[in-house]
Amino acid sequence: MTQEDKKIEVKGSNLVRRNFFLRMLGIGTACAGTWVGSGNLIARAQSAETAAAAAPKIPDYDWNKHKWAFGVDATRCIGCLRCVEACKAENGVTQDAHHFRTWVERYVYLEGDERAHVDSQSDAQNIAASGSEKEFRFDNRYKDAKIEKAFFVPKLCNHCTHPACVQVCPTGATYQTKDGVVLIDHSYCIGCQYCVQACPYGVREFNHVLGVTDKCTWCYHRITKGLQPACVEVCPVEARVFGDRNDPQSPISAFLRNNRVSVLKPETGNAPNVFYVGIDKEVC
Amino acid sequence: MPKHIARLLLLVVVLATAALTAKHYFTDKSYYAYGHYRGDSVAEIASDEPRFRGNEYCKTCHAKQYDSWLESTHNQPVIGKHVKCEVCHGPVGQHPSAAQAPLSVDERIAMGSKAPVAAVATDGKLPLPKDRTKCIQCHEAMPGRPAAQRQVVLAAHAGTEQCTACHDPHSPKINFAILAKAPHGDAAAGKVLAATCAACHGAAGASVNPAWPNLAGQHAGYLVNALQAFKSGTRPNAMMSGMAAGLSDADINNVAAYFSQASCKTAGADPAKALLGKTKAASCALCHGANGVSPSTAWPSLAGQNPDYLSDTLKSFQDGTRNHPVMTSIAKTLSADDVAQLTAYYASTSCK
Amino acid sequence: MIGTMAQAAPYVGYVYPNETDIPWSVLIVIYPYITGLVAGAFIVSSLYHVFGMAQYKPVARFALLTAVSFMFFVPTPLLLHLGNPQRAFNAVLTPHWTSAMAAFSYVAGFYICLLLLEIWFAFRADIVALSKTTRGPLGTVYRLMTLGSDDVSPRALALDHKFATVLAMIGIPAAGGLHGYVGFLFGSVKAREWWSSDLMPIIFLLSAIVSGIGLLIVLYVVYSRIRKVPVDQDCMKGLARTMWAFLLVVLVIEGLELLEMFYKRLEGIDMVQRLIEGPIRYGMLIQWGGSLIVLALLTVLIVFRVEGKALVRGLVISGVGMMIAVLAMRWNVVIGGQELSKTMKGLLVYYPEILSHEGLVAVAIVFTCPFVVLWLITRFLSPWEPEPS
Repeated sequence: MTQEDKKIEVKGSNLVRRNFFLRMLGIGTACAGTWVGSGNLIARAQSAETAAAAAPKIPDYDWNKHKWAFGVDATRCIGCLRCVEACKAENGVTQDAHHFRTWVERYVYLEGDERAHVDSQSDAQNIAASGSEKEFRFDNRYKDAKIEKAFFVPKLCNHCTHPACVQVCPTGATYQTKDGVVLIDHSYCIGCQYCVQACPYGVREFNHVLGVTDKCTWCYHRITKGLQPACVEVCPVEARVFGDRNDPQSPISAFLRNNRVSVLKPETGNAPNVFYVGIDKEVC
Repeated sequence: MPKHIARLLLLVVVLATAALTAKHYFTDKSYYAYGHYRGDSVAEIASDEPRFRGNEYCKTCHAKQYDSWLESTHNQPVIGKHVKCEVCHGPVGQHPSAAQAPLSVDERIAMGSKAPVAAVATDGKLPLPKDRTKCIQCHEAMPGRPAAQRQVVLAAHAGTEQCTACHDPHSPKINFAILAKAPHGDAAAGKVLAATCAACHGAAGASVNPAWPNLAGQHAGYLVNALQAFKSGTRPNAMMSGMAAGLSDADINNVAAYFSQASCKTAGADPAKALLGKTKAASCALCHGANGVSPSTAWPSLAGQNPDYLSDTLKSFQDGTRNHPVMTSIAKTLSADDVAQLTAYYASTSCK
Repeated sequence: MIGTMAQAAPYVGYVYPNETDIPWSVLIVIYPYITGLVAGAFIVSSLYHVFGMAQYKPVARFALLTAVSFMFFVPTPLLLHLGNPQRAFNAVLTPHWTSAMAAFSYVAGFYICLLLLEIWFAFRADIVALSKTTRGPLGTVYRLMTLGSDDVSPRALALDHKFATVLAMIGIPAAGGLHGYVGFLFGSVKAREWWSSDLMPIIFLLSAIVSGIGLLIVLYVVYSRIRKVPVDQDCMKGLARTMWAFLLVVLVIEGLELLEMFYKRLEGIDMVQRLIEGPIRYGMLIQWGGSLIVLALLTVLIVFRVEGKALVRGLVISGVGMMIAVLAMRWNVVIGGQELSKTMKGLLVYYPEILSHEGLVAVAIVFTCPFVVLWLITRFLSPWEPEPS
């Protein structure tokens, strides 16, 4: 065998190997492609067709027929904090002063002060006044002060149209339903708390026992049964209003018709669905 | 291509295929059903049981309380006020327990009036708001609360008295008629006994000494309470304790009936002081009436009363020789001038 | 630890009630820090493998092993921090692509594969040789790693070198991506004023490179001591210049970022100022003070052409200094960002736990692991050129 022959043979065997490799690559790609195709894409295509009509199996409820929204009239709130305790009882929220799905803030302008003094029920003095982290009340620290203006502002998840929390969830454990509620799947959440970081309103809280993030669901288990969310149910002064925007007779539709409303932190682009009446420039 | 490269690529392809297979196998079947999430979780979340169940649920067993609430100031839908059962009592949850009521609420509704009366059991009961902390959550005067909300400065309004002493939470507007147990005394029999009192309080209940109280026209209920307090010693008084000790309950009721029906005489006082006192009487008026005639027969009327007696009484509340859950704290807010002017005002109001 | 919470207390002003439960603990400080060391070490190896700068040859293979040792432990703090680490694969299974975090497993996985492949190509001749001389289970591992091919012909080796170069070329943007990605993870959170910045990826990347070079200098000197061989002076000089250049740029950019923030004086700037003067004041002092001292020291070393032991000592001090300064920078970003309340009306102060799985002890253990693994790997595959005997 000459040098030349050897070269040819090497080339030949190279060629054979290359062909084998290409075929192998082709088969591999095809296999992978089939899996991807059958696994996800087809499933996704099918779901896209059916999703429009299909709805989760909730008795007597069709999420295509509702569009929920929430209103807060801060001029009516008396700061009794029944909503805060009711929410915790209804939803099994951690019983301490660091985990809330809803809370109430107090804004007080003392005479001559440019900026408001702000506190919530979690403030140390308020906890001291209630004597427990399971019951909440505002202490009466301003009773002898010269007050220019004071008011309470209830806060809760805004169930944004463009929720930053859903955007950053790495797994799809938190999502927006068709009827406009942002929910969280406790059995799928990995507990990374990226959503807690991303929420501009600080409404997400972490459940250390389950190792998952928790949030306000607008009491999805209640509203899908025709009930009001627990905080709305117990509000004694109608400071909280809830309802279906698809129904012009609903309290929220009337609230939005009859008031000039604002939302919190509109600059975030989140487009909140909790609408406020009677808040002030200092409300954060 | 060298052998090691080919094998490397084979390894990569095998691993990639395994990974895709694993993805297919482990992904939840309902994933992507409605979007990028586990579709089944929506119905799972919606299936939770509500714990707050609403007034209609409570009504099925507690109709009496419900009816009284329905007409009360705690239920005024027109002005957007709804203090529902669970606002104060907390969530119904699984109440009543099976031990309390063997029948479910639905069964109870179906049976209507034929439903058996629920057995009384201690478990599964909802917590009853025991003290006034529950009421002040909404009604303590606090900056930030809208003016339309009924608010009180607790010390001035009730001292250390419990809210329920005067208010029924189911229907909080005070019903003075219900509040006082009017004693049934015999005025004629009382007149005989009153002879003993005449030495100091006058035969017709007009006191002979301005330091002692006029009794004529005073509410019988209050007179009974006062005599009972002297008798039991809860209101110590050197003179009266001995006098009251000799009286039976019936005697007390009779004496009280006699004096309450006696026609009274207005003591009168310096009109200038009285005018000043009138401007300060607003916080007294809640219990003692704007003109000194108390709306409840359990509380003393002040109209026409001797100013010296009134100021002695206020001073005794101030220095602690006399104690009362409401009066003690209110008296302590008053200056000497306040006392003089207020007593002058009440002394000059007509007791008729 | 189950049930732990409220590791943060309100420091001043008003904070939202849920904010006292700090979402990302000190473990998340260590995560971008380790990632940064990987990126920095990799860049040094690329200076030789891609750009052919021969002066870095003594540390090129060692830098690769350093990078991979630290890369193995990048996911560790993240997993420890998860509420449900056993579900971590959900993010791989159904990655939600609008989330920067969903990409983590793919970015990190890709990067680990890339590093392993590059190491394999760079060490293949060694592996083949070792598979023939080593007995016992270790020998089996070497033989498995050859994939059954002992082709170490010049042609095969040349091909290996080509692959290694290509991989290193992919590796540069990948390392940039890996760490720029971490910066994006923070920079894209619009809710956090202290994070939300377009410059975040660049700042993270550049500071990462500086800290990685620092680590490499320290490790190289320590290993040389252990091996009782002289430190390569050319290599050290090169590293000094590279570190100086990157450090200068990162300081300029970070300075511009702060300058711009205070010049614009957007709403809430008072609280940012109080954050810097308050909860993170020591962190800022260490970050800026350390960086400036190191910059001065490096300038002296370069301008006065310091050589020999003095150069080595100066560089080791610079390396350690930079590692500390960058660690402080990670703290200032990750913890500082969460200490600044979303209300922009208040601050929190964070107290790291000591013993819990998110505590300082856990962090120390996590950070020790890569060093142990690196030591084991260098025993398994020696990155050093054989001693000229």
